[in-house]
Amino acid sequence: MQRDSLALAVPLAALFLVAFIAPLCVLLALSLSGDSEFGRFTLQNYVKFFTDRFNYSILIDTLLLGIKSTAVCLVFGYPIAWVAARSSPRVQSLLLFIVVLPIMTSVVVRTFAWIVILGRYGVLNQIVQSLGLTQEPLKLLYSEVGVVIVLAQVQMPLMVLPILTVLSRIDPNLSDASQALGAGAWRTLWRVTLPLSTPGIVAGCILTYAACVTAFVTQSLIGGARLVYMPLHIYQQAVGANNWPFAAALSVIFMIAVLAAVALLNTIAARAHRHA
Amino acid sequence: MFSTPDRRTLLKSVGLAGAGALMPGFARAQAQTLVAATFPGTWNEAHRQVLLPAFVKRTGAKATQSIILGTDQISRLSAAKGGKPPFDVAFFDSPQVIDAVKQGLIVEYPVAKSPNYASLLPEFQDKWGPRVSVQVIGIGYNPKKIKNPPKSWDALWDPQYKGRVGLTALNSQLGIAFLAEINRLRGGADDNFDAGFKALRELLPNVGAIGANLGAFATLWQQEQIDIAPYNFNFVQTLKAKDVPVELSIPDTGPVGWHTSMHIVANAEAPDLAAAYIDTNLDPAVQAAMQKPPFDIIPSNSNVPLEGAITQSIAKTHADLAKVRAINWEKIGPMRSALIEQFNREVKI
Repeated sequence: MQRDSLALAVPLAALFLVAFIAPLCVLLALSLSGDSEFGRFTLQNYVKFFTDRFNYSILIDTLLLGIKSTAVCLVFGYPIAWVAARSSPRVQSLLLFIVVLPIMTSVVVRTFAWIVILGRYGVLNQIVQSLGLTQEPLKLLYSEVGVVIVLAQVQMPLMVLPILTVLSRIDPNLSDASQALGAGAWRTLWRVTLPLSTPGIVAGCILTYAACVTAFVTQSLIGGARLVYMPLHIYQQAVGANNWPFAAALSVIFMIAVLAAVALLNTIAARAHRHA
Repeated sequence: MFSTPDRRTLLKSVGLAGAGALMPGFARAQAQTLVAATFPGTWNEAHRQVLLPAFVKRTGAKATQSIILGTDQISRLSAAKGGKPPFDVAFFDSPQVIDAVKQGLIVEYPVAKSPNYASLLPEFQDKWGPRVSVQVIGIGYNPKKIKNPPKSWDALWDPQYKGRVGLTALNSQLGIAFLAEINRLRGGADDNFDAGFKALRELLPNVGAIGANLGAFATLWQQEQIDIAPYNFNFVQTLKAKDVPVELSIPDTGPVGWHTSMHIVANAEAPDLAAAYIDTNLDPAVQAAMQKPPFDIIPSNSNVPLEGAITQSIAKTHADLAKVRAINWEKIGPMRSALIEQFNREVKI
């Protein structure tokens, strides 16, 4: 029985080996070599990264950007998922459609649309200025605030869908019981619904976080060249500067850092779940 | 009702198949497709609308034009080194030619197979592949906001343009050419960019945005996010044709530029078609059509008289074209990686 199920996994495992593990090994080997031809073994690319504030500050900025965008996604996404889960099937499918809509257009198109909205003479600035809130146009484009806003919108479905799935599986009797025992709506949300939906929140946060920190197009188009994040840094080293070994080292470090962040999130969630 | 083939028929078909395998060129000649690289923007439009139809008419072959930046072409060719290259014709700006030759990514151009090569102006002839045009940079400005055309690069440092100056990252030719020219004007040397970076630091308070790439840079103009910035003559012409408020002023220190050239890639699948494609781009009729708006691509063939927007700001005669200041890419090339890194450090918020 077990041997059969192992056999079923072989095609996928083979694909993984060829298309994922093998290139990863090449990347690792390249990051440890002195030139693009896999020449002499060296740790200089890693030493260069960790001894230079400029390099690791980019990594920290990127990881923080992920936290900020994921937090915004969670704050706006959870209520949407909550409302959708409690709506009639008709309203729920309409809400779902609205949430999923952004995925159906290319990320480049979505990002360019945001440029029109956030620009110096963009829609948002026109509204803010016509309300007399500011004289000078706000600098939203080419600022980190702009990048966070756009990433939160672009990645929102990744947050809403897992939470919605978990929320709609929670037995409605539980919240009824909570209220029957005298808990108010907020207390029920805080003590019953939220802890039970932790797996959805964790899944949503992991997906959103990984997507936000690696979103090369959105980061570089909305952030411009003055806000350097890891994906742009890697691109510039690989293509602009033609320094493949260093770009490979940056990629390896970035990948490990993101995996570590995800693992940390998982641990925190597991602990919270145990206490709940 | 199937008959089993006898031994003789079988041998004959196997033999034919074998011959086909031995002469792949012959078998493919009928339906050969050329793959040629081109740049995004003006070049892609000119190549699609002018060069492609002329090439198809001349050879009867098919061609696919693939939009890839010069630096990306180098990356892809060196990644495919030793195997089948992803395209037959490379399209480079001057610095990539040096890299490609060094890495053995392109072959010498077969001048004998290119009837139009001999009529190129002397500065456009190169054994590694003909230079099809020269790209010139100047000061781009929004005429709605800036009434008097800026006469000098120093205008960018004018405090009245605080927050309205744009730049591009150094992975574009435009960015590096601008920095090199500023470095020269502020007393720096080809192998020492300290003066250029000092000027850049002084410029930063005025800088409103730095485009990560040329596509993003064009959007900055379209959205009127910036009003004044170094820009490329051809891109200005293309944006003007789309009713974007932008003009180009050539500063009094003269035009600066670099050549753009076409090359046959090493181990190209269709080297003869590649030569025909490149030669078609040198054809006087093709170059004259590309000189018309909205492309305004500067011709390199001596039989194409200069006309239009080019003669108003850059060059009146072919002799003037030779005066476009070149940049010392031989010196800058090895420093490129360090320059990009220093630029990123200087501008990072």
